[in-house]
Amino acid sequence: MRIFLSGIGVAVALLGVISHAHGQKETERFIPIGQSPGVSQKHTSIGEIAEVDQQKQMVTIVEPAGRRTVKITEKTRIWLDRTKLKQTNLVGSFAELQKGRRIEMKYADPESRQIADWVKVEIAQP
Amino acid sequence: MPAATRAYKPHRSAKLRVAGALLAAASSLAACNSKPPDPQAALIAKGKEIFFNETFNGNGRTCGTCHREERNFAIDAAFIATLPKNDALFVAEFNRDLKQNFENPRLMREFGLILENLDGFDDLPNKFTMRGVPHVLALRTSIVSPQGPRTGWSGDGAPGDGSLRSFAIGAVIQHFTKTLNRVAGVDFRLPTDAELDALEAFQLSLGRQADLALPLPLRGTVAKRGQQIFLDNGLGKCNVCHGNAGANLAAGNNANFNTGVEDLPDQPARLTGEKVPRDDGLGRPGDGTFNTPPLVEAADTGPFFHNNAIETIEGAVAFYNGQAFNNSPSGKFLASTDPNGVGIRLDATQVVAVAAFLRVINALENIRQSIELLTQSEALGFFEGERAKPLLMRAANEARDATAVLAGAGLHPQAVALLDESGKLTERAESSLFSRRGLTREAIKVQEQARAQMIEERK
Repeated sequence: MRIFLSGIGVAVALLGVISHAHGQKETERFIPIGQSPGVSQKHTSIGEIAEVDQQKQMVTIVEPAGRRTVKITEKTRIWLDRTKLKQTNLVGSFAELQKGRRIEMKYADPESRQIADWVKVEIAQP
Repeated sequence: MPAATRAYKPHRSAKLRVAGALLAAASSLAACNSKPPDPQAALIAKGKEIFFNETFNGNGRTCGTCHREERNFAIDAAFIATLPKNDALFVAEFNRDLKQNFENPRLMREFGLILENLDGFDDLPNKFTMRGVPHVLALRTSIVSPQGPRTGWSGDGAPGDGSLRSFAIGAVIQHFTKTLNRVAGVDFRLPTDAELDALEAFQLSLGRQADLALPLPLRGTVAKRGQQIFLDNGLGKCNVCHGNAGANLAAGNNANFNTGVEDLPDQPARLTGEKVPRDDGLGRPGDGTFNTPPLVEAADTGPFFHNNAIETIEGAVAFYNGQAFNNSPSGKFLASTDPNGVGIRLDATQVVAVAAFLRVINALENIRQSIELLTQSEALGFFEGERAKPLLMRAANEARDATAVLAGAGLHPQAVALLDESGKLTERAESSLFSRRGLTREAIKVQEQARAQMIEERK
């Protein structure tokens, strides 16, 4: 009986961990570049877009640490940071990732830093 | 007349001298009482100030607008009904820019529900959830998981790194904005790093700092039976997910489950005919799971579940008997591990017994907190009455909560009488200039007597 009962605990623990906790990404959209708590600078790159490969859906950015090329996938959230224009931030698309624009990128895997989890692109001019 | 004047003058100056001496004594006493500043206490105090007073240049709301100290850091319809029309909670009723798609005033006033755009801000009229306000007590024991911190009803309440520290930023963006544009620096300002640190420290300081160690040596017959059922993994099965009546699994970490609350028929908010989209829980799109809340604080923080679907603690326990739970992934899973294929099946007396147990442990926590506050107040010197007042007010609130929680189910009438007496003593202490500390000591003693009615002292 004791084995059965402790088995329930282990099994329910397994059921419970199926769901992964993660930050509420939706309010993230309204946080300007560089100000995401606990993430900006630590787990993101902030720099300028140097190259865009539309076909491969890759973006190369230049940040203080050097150049980095990152994959944008269907799951990557793209937001347009229009805070400097005092306008609401919008959901964007790959087309808005344009050379010369300031960008912040959070990685899906902070270790490998190859795929973007979310991207904020600064829109500084109307 | 001149003689009288002459006679009066020395008398007056003597009075002044006495007053001066008293003031000097007071200031030297105050100096003796002053302890070296505790940096953590200072951070918590700063966090408290921000929590209740800082609007972040937004629509007038503060964290305390919804997380009311006098309502155990939550809010409910009965309390909402007592608020003035211009309370910042009702900002959607008087700020034209927030009239549409910011709150649903009817559901707020009738059921204490708050609008959240957890699945995004791109379709405001159709994509939203209506959720109750969770209390922020015992956070230190209830949000840690191997996958990261779990904040809010679905465990994903915070932007950034998802931590409790980051939670305030998401709350400001969601609830404090002046317009639906939600532009930082225009519609609100974002909390600074120092403010986030302070808010986190304050919230972590609230309520229990450790889990209980069940079973407790309870005295009440029904509550004692309720505890047995609660701990019985073959009957109540409550302890499987709510280990030690907290928010953690036996392994000590918090987790999310789909328990089928969204499948309850006749949910009060939906009965109104107002639009209430299905709440899909964690993530976007959601996986249907919600975070396990602690139960020690449950009985005095209803209504229950993320959608305030059930008003009473007895109803909340009974939920686990129903179709909604037993057909849910969690219910089916429990059934699959049961030799008889049963998820949870309790009779009415067993439901009431489990609820009685939850009421008693809630009241014991109220008493613990109340005694802690009374002790802090009692330690303050004669000239620190103003600092003692808020502590005494909170202590009286806790005693009132304990009384209501027990009396609501006819439990421990003797303890209820004692708690009532202690509450009165505390109120007298609050307004007394000379007997504050004596009355406070008496209130502590009476609360200890009340506690002794409910639980045997551990040796």
